[in-house]
Amino acid sequence: MTVSFESRPMLDVILFNVTNGLIIGAFYVLMALGLSLILNLSNVINFAHGNFLAIGGYLAFVLVPVTGFWLALLISPIATAILGLAVERLMIRQVYRRDPVYSLLLTFGLAFIIQDMCRYIWGPNGLPLSVPDTIAAPISNEFFFITWYRIFMVVIVVVAVGGLFTFLRYTKVGVRIRAGTLDLETVSVLGVNVGFLRSFNFGLGCLLAGLAGVLAGGQIGLNPNMGDDLLMPSFIAIIVGGVGSLAGTLVGGLLIGVAAAVTTVFWPSGNEAVIYMIMAIVLIIRPRGLMGEEGMLT
Amino acid sequence: MDHLKLPVGRRTLIKGGAMLGAMQLASPFIVKALGDQPIKIGMVDPLTGSLSALAQSEVEGAKYAVAEVNKKNGILGRQVELLVEDSANDVGTGVQKTRKLIDRDHVDVIFGDVNSGIAYAIAQVTTEKKVFHIVPGGHTDPITGTNCKWNVFRICNTTSMDAAAITPELVKRFGKRWFFVTPDYAYGHTLQDAFVKNLKKAGGEYEGDMLPIAATEFSATLIKARAYKPNVLLNNMGGLAQIDCMKQFVQFGMAKDMALGGALFELESVKAVPKDAQAGWWDFEWWWDQPKVPEVGKFVADFRKAVGKTPSARHWFGYVAVNSVRLAADKAKSMEGPKLALAMEDMELPPDVALQPGKVFYRKGDHELMPNIFVGEVHPPQGNPDNIFTAAALVPGEQAAGTVEDTGCKMTPPPV
Repeated sequence: MTVSFESRPMLDVILFNVTNGLIIGAFYVLMALGLSLILNLSNVINFAHGNFLAIGGYLAFVLVPVTGFWLALLISPIATAILGLAVERLMIRQVYRRDPVYSLLLTFGLAFIIQDMCRYIWGPNGLPLSVPDTIAAPISNEFFFITWYRIFMVVIVVVAVGGLFTFLRYTKVGVRIRAGTLDLETVSVLGVNVGFLRSFNFGLGCLLAGLAGVLAGGQIGLNPNMGDDLLMPSFIAIIVGGVGSLAGTLVGGLLIGVAAAVTTVFWPSGNEAVIYMIMAIVLIIRPRGLMGEEGMLT
Repeated sequence: MDHLKLPVGRRTLIKGGAMLGAMQLASPFIVKALGDQPIKIGMVDPLTGSLSALAQSEVEGAKYAVAEVNKKNGILGRQVELLVEDSANDVGTGVQKTRKLIDRDHVDVIFGDVNSGIAYAIAQVTTEKKVFHIVPGGHTDPITGTNCKWNVFRICNTTSMDAAAITPELVKRFGKRWFFVTPDYAYGHTLQDAFVKNLKKAGGEYEGDMLPIAATEFSATLIKARAYKPNVLLNNMGGLAQIDCMKQFVQFGMAKDMALGGALFELESVKAVPKDAQAGWWDFEWWWDQPKVPEVGKFVADFRKAVGKTPSARHWFGYVAVNSVRLAADKAKSMEGPKLALAMEDMELPPDVALQPGKVFYRKGDHELMPNIFVGEVHPPQGNPDNIFTAAALVPGEQAAGTVEDTGCKMTPPPV
């Protein structure tokens, strides 16, 4: 359908959507970083990552009436991380030494189990997650699509990403995780407890998923399928940015967010297809991704 | 060839013949035993995916009706068994599950699907297999329009009916400049076409976006909508997508700039959005609060007791589907597809199944149920948490549907 607005210049609509796309992209980044962490260190393609996101959101739904939104935002990701640690210890750990297909199938099954569990406990109907009125309104009539909540979301993402990068660069565990991403076997030979490293890393990934779940819940509400819809853009952000590169994931997430938003202006029904097209183009022209290292996809 | 040497003796052959004869005599008893087998109804609905809440309600309504029917000696004296399959909101899966229900489980009847695209696809299968098929809640027009079949009947309205019922109200109250947010699949296309047809008749203008069926992010489209400055934003999305769109609409404070409305905003969806988003003018295909119809009060009380929920239009669809089979089978004295189809044509629903005023019947020409359409305003709960809608008008289904010729249906008679 063509766009022919009389009341506002087309350029404004495009610029608004670039800004809007950066906000959406920031959210994809948060989700993709957790996924990327687990994939890079443990070589596990965690198909249940979106479902950990849903659990984070639902836990907040349960907590908000008791603790209020702010405390729920703190507790839910931690609780999701603890659940992730238990899952890693009981299930994922058993397949580390096997072909990655095993972990892929395991997490694929786990995704269905968690989704049905959410459906059983909280029902198939959507549920609203209340956010404080103080951050619910738009910042101005002109920039109506930038609500204080969306700004808050971006700030949280910036803090989380900054914190993660600082942690990985300046702490002993962080440096070991980065080293393990490059060569886990050598790290193991040097006496590092790889089991702990993997568990910690998986928990950290789930913490980010839980955080994304609470933020997504406040934005679009909760439903058992909510993780599925957000999982694919996250995978694409990783592939576009480059497997093995957290900075690449950041760039990939923002890029597909902006691309999807701007595409909506010209070709609304193609706003999902465009991110797959970007992935295809990147894979053809630069298979390692925009910032990935050679060989990481093999 | 000299002699044919048989591997069995003459006496054995005679004994075998006698046994075969005895089996023929005994066969009526075997047939009678088959008559004691339950009647199987296969229900294909998207129990997972973005339409799952609506599908669950349809299944609950059908299960409730099956329990009621079985308490009253079933259908034609046989108990009814409901076999439910998840189409996962995917056409291929829906078709595969339908074939499985027909070929392996030998169901007598198929119900489904909430997703219009799947309903449309499985209608091809049921027609090919000559199985009686009721579409409780898939709205796209061709199912009972250009692609109508002798074996397919529909309970929910067509998109044309819903659009025709609400358009005059929206134009009268808010104006003729509209922006559509529509899902990009069969239901969305026919619904938007129907709205555009009615809006153009009223001299209106429009703009709009077709988005993926399970879209979660609407901010980009809402930016376009606001720039267009419409009088009304028509949210045609379904299930969870509609809910997400409503939430973002409210978060962006757009309610003060334009009215909100559309064909359907169902009880399941209204309850899932914040109070601010419980707004706008919509069609409801059935409504539980009808003080002037005594049968409705009893149904709602019994349903709440049994299921623990207030029935929605989707529950009613499932309930009507099972009872339609019962009524048609009683009339046809048979469960054969062609005979059921013939019995359903122009069949009027009794008040305890119709659950609304006036005559509610399956129109012979296109096999579309002709109920009333409840047009009114959605609002935050008033007293009862399920009291979120006030009907302003009842539009007769036949008036909204137009003539059979208008639908494009050229029905072939059932092959009785």
